[in-house]
Amino acid sequence: MLIQTVSLGKKYKNGIVALYDIDLSIDYGEFVFLTGESGAGKSTLIRLLFREELPSSGQILISGRSTMRLSKKDIVRLRRNTGVVFQDFRLMERSTVFDNVAFALKAVERPWDEIKKRVPRVLERVGLAGREQENVMHLSGGEQQRVAIARAIINNPIILFADEPTGDLDPRTSMELMELFNEINEQGTTLVMATHDKNIVDTYNKRVLTLSAGRLISDSVGGWQL
Amino acid sequence: MKLSSFRYIVPQAFKSMFHNGLMTVAAILTITISLFLCTAFWLLIINVDANARQIEDDVRVLAYLSEDTTEDQYAAIEEEILAIPGVASCEFVGKDEGIKELEARFGGVDLEETLGGENPLPDRFSIMAETTDDVTTIADKVSNLAAVDVVRYGEGTVEKLFALTDTMRRVGVAVMILLALAAVVLIAMTIRLAVMARKKEIMVMKWVGATNAFIRLPFLLEGIFLGLFGGLLALVLVLLAYVNAGDYLASTISFVLVLDIGQVWLNTLVFTLAAGLLLGIFGSLFPLARFMDV
Repeated sequence: MLIQTVSLGKKYKNGIVALYDIDLSIDYGEFVFLTGESGAGKSTLIRLLFREELPSSGQILISGRSTMRLSKKDIVRLRRNTGVVFQDFRLMERSTVFDNVAFALKAVERPWDEIKKRVPRVLERVGLAGREQENVMHLSGGEQQRVAIARAIINNPIILFADEPTGDLDPRTSMELMELFNEINEQGTTLVMATHDKNIVDTYNKRVLTLSAGRLISDSVGGWQL
Repeated sequence: MKLSSFRYIVPQAFKSMFHNGLMTVAAILTITISLFLCTAFWLLIINVDANARQIEDDVRVLAYLSEDTTEDQYAAIEEEILAIPGVASCEFVGKDEGIKELEARFGGVDLEETLGGENPLPDRFSIMAETTDDVTTIADKVSNLAAVDVVRYGEGTVEKLFALTDTMRRVGVAVMILLALAAVVLIAMTIRLAVMARKKEIMVMKWVGATNAFIRLPFLLEGIFLGLFGGLLALVLVLLAYVNAGDYLASTISFVLVLDIGQVWLNTLVFTLAAGLLLGIFGSLFPLARFMDV
């Protein structure tokens, strides 16, 4: 099993409980939708899974290892094997497409020769071939999200987490991006995507985990559950 | 950490300094002023110290003769002085010679004219002791001679100078601590701003699995550069000021001993750069520990 949670809970310092006793498991190569209303706990669960936050109770196991007791070295290794994409893209605004994507390789200290070769290849994969030198702020929302996806997958992660990646995009652009996510998944990357877009969930016949008020209320295949 | 990563890290530190603009200037100037004052103070102390030591090493006793002493008595007085144990030599200095000496020490001023043509100096004997230990006993004995009015040697002056350098050291340490604190705070504020400005990049670096060292090193380097630039500026300024002040003192009060720049520049260089480096490291470690827990 790639991802496993056991009685996972998150209570914030201000007393708000975001998640209660989540038990789930996700296998290698799966494509899983995480759905629910706003505030149901989707983003919190994603943040816990990629270890941006630590749980207040329970366990998260990635490839059988608890993420709570990792050394700094292992945390770094875990992060190099996971990619993240957000609703608001989180790009470096003043930089070019190339620099934004290359940054992910520079940060993990890949040699410059390798960076020069790999960035155009991943841009081609996300449908932005030849756009290297454009400033990211001159791109459309959908294109900016493609840059963010390129940045997230350039290190060939085993898992890609996406938190409402189409939340700010129009339906047509959303569907185009979903095709890209589908392709990435078909090439072997496990995909966990939080979304409250019923249309997307209904279109793709994937596993759907539904959260409501911090609890996992259903785990089924295909279609919106609420 | 790979060596090739410094191709990213070093330019990043400079970019960030440039981006921080006024804050960078303020931090560098604070370090410069702090280190300039500390170093100037230290130079002052070692020079006063050197002067005190020179006086301490002085084996001369000056015996000023009373006004009613006549020239034919001089030879007898000289013999009496030479008879005192521990006296190495004894030289007569007449009042005219005395005032010329004084004029030379004050840089060639015409003292006689200033004093309205009158020479108030008494005649004196300049006595050299064999060792500094003999100086007090010789002075005692010489002052008992009937023709001798006043005896002068380094009494009191040395103690006063050493007391002065002692006080200066204590005040200096307190001032240095305060200035160093100010410099560290300013560097810390600058680095904090730099961290804030690059928050998004830091997040991305974390997500893609950059190591702590890789994320923090540009900021640490930025602090170090701030410290070193400040130190370098302080070094240049303090040496310039030292040379000018030394020249000025030498031309006005020539009996004051000013240590040659060759004797002080190396210590000054090591101190300013090392202090700048340390201030930079401390200043950047605080915000990094506080604001960037990965």
